Amino acid sequence: MKKGKRPFGKILMTLMIVFFYLPILYMIIFSFNEGKSLTVFTGFSLRWYQHMLESRDMMEALYTTFSVALIATAVSTAAGTVAAIGLSRSRKIVRNVMEQVNNLPLMNPEIVTAIGFMLLFITFRVGKGYMTMLLAHIAFCTPYVMLSVMPKIRSMDPNIADAAMDLGATPWQALTKAIVPQITPGILSGALIAFTMSVDDFIISYFVTGGGVKNLSIMVYTMSKRINPSINAISTLVVVIITIALAVINLVPVLMAKRETREEIGKRRWVLPGALALCAVLAAVFLLRPEGGDSALPYAGETLYVYMPGEYIGEEVVPDFEARTGATVIMENFDSNEQMYIKVANGEAYDLLIPSDYMIQRLIEEDLLQPLDPSLLTCMDVLNEAVLNPPYDPENTYSVPYFWGTVGIVYDKTKVDLEELKEQGFDIFKNEKYYGDIYLYDSERDSFMMALKALGYSMNTENEEELNAAYDWLEECVQTMKPEIVTDEIIDNMAQGRKALGLIYSGDAAYVMSENENMGFYLPESGTNLWFDSMVIPANAENPELAHEFMNFISEYDIAYDNSSYVGYTSPNEEVAADLSGEGGEFEGIDAYVPRMGYEMDEVFVYNEDTRKIISNLWSKVKIAASNAS
Amino acid sequence: MKRFSQLAVPYIIWAVLMLILPMGLIALYSVTEPGNSIISFSLTLEHYAKFFTDPDFLIILWRSLGIAFKTTVICLILGYPAAYFISRSSEKTQRLLVLCITIPTWINMLVRTYAWIGMLSEGGPIQQILNILGLGTPELLYTEGAVLLGMVYNFVPFMILQINTSLCKMDTSLLEAGADLGANPVQAFLRVTLPLSLPGVINGITLVFLPAVSSFFIPKLLGGGQYFLIGNLIENQFITVGEWNFGSAISMIMAAVMMLLMMAVRKVELHNQGGKEE
Repeated sequence: MKKGKRPFGKILMTLMIVFFYLPILYMIIFSFNEGKSLTVFTGFSLRWYQHMLESRDMMEALYTTFSVALIATAVSTAAGTVAAIGLSRSRKIVRNVMEQVNNLPLMNPEIVTAIGFMLLFITFRVGKGYMTMLLAHIAFCTPYVMLSVMPKIRSMDPNIADAAMDLGATPWQALTKAIVPQITPGILSGALIAFTMSVDDFIISYFVTGGGVKNLSIMVYTMSKRINPSINAISTLVVVIITIALAVINLVPVLMAKRETREEIGKRRWVLPGALALCAVLAAVFLLRPEGGDSALPYAGETLYVYMPGEYIGEEVVPDFEARTGATVIMENFDSNEQMYIKVANGEAYDLLIPSDYMIQRLIEEDLLQPLDPSLLTCMDVLNEAVLNPPYDPENTYSVPYFWGTVGIVYDKTKVDLEELKEQGFDIFKNEKYYGDIYLYDSERDSFMMALKALGYSMNTENEEELNAAYDWLEECVQTMKPEIVTDEIIDNMAQGRKALGLIYSGDAAYVMSENENMGFYLPESGTNLWFDSMVIPANAENPELAHEFMNFISEYDIAYDNSSYVGYTSPNEEVAADLSGEGGEFEGIDAYVPRMGYEMDEVFVYNEDTRKIISNLWSKVKIAASNAS
Repeated sequence: MKRFSQLAVPYIIWAVLMLILPMGLIALYSVTEPGNSIISFSLTLEHYAKFFTDPDFLIILWRSLGIAFKTTVICLILGYPAAYFISRSSEKTQRLLVLCITIPTWINMLVRTYAWIGMLSEGGPIQQILNILGLGTPELLYTEGAVLLGMVYNFVPFMILQINTSLCKMDTSLLEAGADLGANPVQAFLRVTLPLSLPGVINGITLVFLPAVSSFFIPKLLGGGQYFLIGNLIENQFITVGEWNFGSAISMIMAAVMMLLMMAVRKVELHNQGGKEE
């Protein structure tokens, strides 16, 4: 049986290996792609690696991942071993209870454990960041170490420590010389499991992190919406590090086995390769550790914590700011204003936020912002009058505009007739001709705006009947049209012409149109949302002066020009906007870049807590309906 | 002998703080009204009522369990033969194959999931292969199939490794004994190998089913925003909606459901072992 030919098994095994490695291989190949596509290979290039090495965000994510993993492994291995030895000598009831307690992170869905940690840190006002991530990792890794050490202790002669001490050993010697060597294999395999769990973790890290601290998982999760082969590059780097570490751990004992006798290997086979692998990973981590700034600059050594939407800033803006001021910018991104609000309201400290109009109103109402210092602001003169003194902050006491625009429909001119679009407005998203060919935007606010406008209501309605009618509109849409509900994924997908229609922010549309000339942008006659995203300083900011500096910097002509041309959103700097949309400008002839002004049906969002709650809940239900329909 | 027992004390304190207290907080949040502080709060069961009286939420829970169940079954169908093959290979091959299966599990799960985006996207290799085979160019990314694939891909190694471990521990002389007593290979497999590998199967099921139910990033990355499972619902409550009390209640419900299911699975195992000893 053992030597027989087993073609079925071999084929299955080969297919499995292909299945395991093909995606990884594919990802590695495209990390060397010259172009930006993940499906068409245009030539060999190392540009994404260069991009990765230049991105401090990515390097820091790598550093965080491995440094947390190493420290958590070391601490949880030591603590787990000591605790396991202690428990094995404790009373049975204590031991049994603790085994059950240790089972909590093992047998609970990970998201429940994660939420538990998050609530713990928030309840006891522990500032979320690197330390909380590390504590959480230690907490969920230790039970795994104990699980792997316990059986070894059980199979050990219980009298061995006493014997050692009878022979004159101190308790410490008995522990380290008599007990630990007996259970070394268990300790090492526990350490290995702890390390794997820590490197692999996403869910727990995601809920307990803060202050811009990201590990690799969080970075991939937040960046994967846009096509970015640098993610492939950094993933490839991780694959290489891990493969080398694993190969060393597994191959060295095999090689050593040829030289040494069996008994010796039994004791030592883990030690040398383990140490080697550890050294290799440590070296990699410290080589990759990001460096500090130049100390001669005005803000050298200071840090600016920025919390803003993802994919919303030019690539060179932050490096330029750092080069000029000497400060370090720690950037954290959010998917929605609501997500930002929760963190800020829970006391997490940032120096600068970039929320939208209605959210700024809410933050002002709840005393979460501090007034700006006009003596530190030099940028107000260059800004477009249309964006100054908005209703949510009438005198710009708290906010400086960052970008502004509208929400409209991006459409493929080759598939959708403009006349039809004009006739139907937002109702085109319920036109069955485009079944399966539309994108909706995963934002409660914008989706309800669309539905309310389509029904002819104000998007700021507080009337529950109207809100329910909008809910019905959306529910019908997701049930009959098979839309894809996306966020930033829409940008690259529409630029590649993947669908006929999508609900989109004007700035994203400007980018899409500059990439693909078949794309058009339409603002329905029923009116739409006119929005402003502005920079504000939270009340608990630690470095408001530097935040003012950032506001001035971002509004300067050169910087605003780079920023706006990179992301496609309309700059509040009047000259920049005029140059970019004017003759020879990057967005010449692209109507999405110039927001529709003075149209009476367009509205700016007004914050209302009751309405927000209703919309929030209804939007969850729309998504559930979409999910159930698919 | 008891000399070392005090070594456990620091850990017991730590475990109370870091393992028990968080669960206590979730339980507390789930039965209190929003806006309460830890010092003063009023109790309510409305969050549980909200979940159980709305068919939408129950459907989401049901669907999440359903996709986790499908994932587990597929992992078992793929994983068992693979583990069986590995355990019957020579020691050297065994070592190599186990290594081959372990390496992907060491690579970060988000990276592994991300790797599929390029493969499945429009114009990607899988669509091209299907096109060549004359199957047209169906949409692959952002479908239930993609979510299922992502889950199987991420979790099947755990199944294989668990089953393989229990198959390797098996005493092969039992099979010889069976053959001597006239059992054909099919009988030997059904009567000897399968029951003895059951602990591994159970462990494998636990390691696949548990993360599959609560995973929210695989649906989000491969299923898109319109693919909404119980994990996404919980994430949503905490990250964007801000209703932590309701989110905590859903977490408690999920934890309870999982515990019941796992107890049921363990019971099957115990029953089976009991049966063998008779």
